[in-house]
Amino acid sequence: MFDNFSRLASMFDSLLVEVKGLRFSRGERQIFRGVELRIPRGRITAIMGPSGTGKTTLLKLMGGQLVPDAGEVLVEGQDIHGLSRKALFGLRRRMGMLFQSGALFSDLNVFENVAFPLRVHTDLPEAMVRDLVLMKLEAVGLRGARELMPSELSGGMARRVALARAIALDPDLVLYDEPFVGQDPISKGILVKLIKQLNEALGLTSVVVSHDIAETLSIADYVYVIADGQVMAQGTPAGLDVDEDPRVRQFVHGEPDGPVPFHYAAPDFLQDILVREDRA
Amino acid sequence: MIRRIHALGRRGCDMLEALGRSAVFLARASLGVPAREGWYLWLRQMHFVGVLSLAIIVVSGLFIGMVLALQGYTILVDFGAEQALGQMVALSLLRELSPVVAALLFAGRAGSALTAEIGLMKATEQLTSMEMIGVDPLRRVVAPRLWAGFVALPLLTVGFSVVGVYGGYLVGVQWLGVFEGSYWSNMQSSVSFIADVGNGMIKSLVFALVVTWIAVFQGYDLVPTAEGISRATTRTVVYSSLSVLGLDFVLTAVMFGGFS
Repeated sequence: MFDNFSRLASMFDSLLVEVKGLRFSRGERQIFRGVELRIPRGRITAIMGPSGTGKTTLLKLMGGQLVPDAGEVLVEGQDIHGLSRKALFGLRRRMGMLFQSGALFSDLNVFENVAFPLRVHTDLPEAMVRDLVLMKLEAVGLRGARELMPSELSGGMARRVALARAIALDPDLVLYDEPFVGQDPISKGILVKLIKQLNEALGLTSVVVSHDIAETLSIADYVYVIADGQVMAQGTPAGLDVDEDPRVRQFVHGEPDGPVPFHYAAPDFLQDILVREDRA
Repeated sequence: MIRRIHALGRRGCDMLEALGRSAVFLARASLGVPAREGWYLWLRQMHFVGVLSLAIIVVSGLFIGMVLALQGYTILVDFGAEQALGQMVALSLLRELSPVVAALLFAGRAGSALTAEIGLMKATEQLTSMEMIGVDPLRRVVAPRLWAGFVALPLLTVGFSVVGVYGGYLVGVQWLGVFEGSYWSNMQSSVSFIADVGNGMIKSLVFALVVTWIAVFQGYDLVPTAEGISRATTRTVVYSSLSVLGLDFVLTAVMFGGFS
């Protein structure tokens, strides 16, 4: 499974984020039952899994927005849920998060959206803010769109602006929540390229949560597959591609039926229909 | 039966919990040190909840004053006491109608808008992304709106009273022919600054706090879906109207009930 063991071993030398024995439930439903993740510094780590497995919830737990029932999330060795509110907000300055919806501030234009983190966290003079914002917008190819309002942007552009905002403060860690969902092939290609480029050029650590197999596997250094509240499989993209586990095979190759059933849990079909006829 | 009691108890617990949440929310939002741009944000909200509510407040104030004069005149004239019209209009407005009606209009015009705006920001993850950027949305989004509402409604209430008294003058003096001198001088001699104007303003401050608090809390606490936003907006108007009317009775009893 490990095609290059020594490379992998060196990859885990320096961890930025470590998730240990994470348990979380929402109401009666258990979402995570002891999840273990290790996110190496300077790499792209993908977290994949079918819809509804709580991938976004996992990101929120890593960002300290939700508190787990048990287990801990260590960012640079600090337990993020043990921090005071002030320390947590301080730590978040070094994290960027790209939301599924973009989550741009609808009352600010593109320029001001990207400038927002700089304005609230730094005392830089206006000229410097302008230069930095234009640099970030140039990196995502939207320098010309700086005057537009978020409502005037296409979905792909909004996500690129959100990406520029997420990296405005040059964070150490960027969390991507389903960056490819609902994008046309061109913007998907652009986003794949951007995530890869930014990771290399800025020395970021990236965590990509996604269920778009092809795009994600093409850029990830290491992949975790989550299902049923646990890590079902992990490895390099090449390793996962040839994984023999039927559940992993079904997910990675997109087979409609398999260990994960096509049907939502229901009583026997024939019986269900007969019962309705009886009633009529 | 047991199940019903159980459901009732759960509802009670949920309500208490929401009340506690909203109190913590109020404390965190209002006591936080204002951000650097706090003034600017506050001013923008003052424009939004205050200046833009001015039209509805002025028009309503004018009509309420006019109706008061008309109704008051038909009753007072039977006793030959139409000279007391100014006193009647001014006291009804300052003590009761201005604070209450302005607060009700404010809840409908500005409160529902605040709820919908904050709710939509929550639904589109703007609040979450603000938190992830390391900015507390309670300070950045909620606090300016809370303070703007708290300041704007008493000012609007003053405007309501002024326009209302003028509306009473238009109908009473200009139309129905009450002697102008008695309209103003009776008003001047019977209205006490502390007991009437002051108590009216205290009412208005209380209503301002309650209405804005309900509006921003409902927006912040709602379920971020289309249905959730519509329900929260409705709740804002219903809860704030009921609290305003209920509190008005309590405050009136304390201020003018003669218990002291």
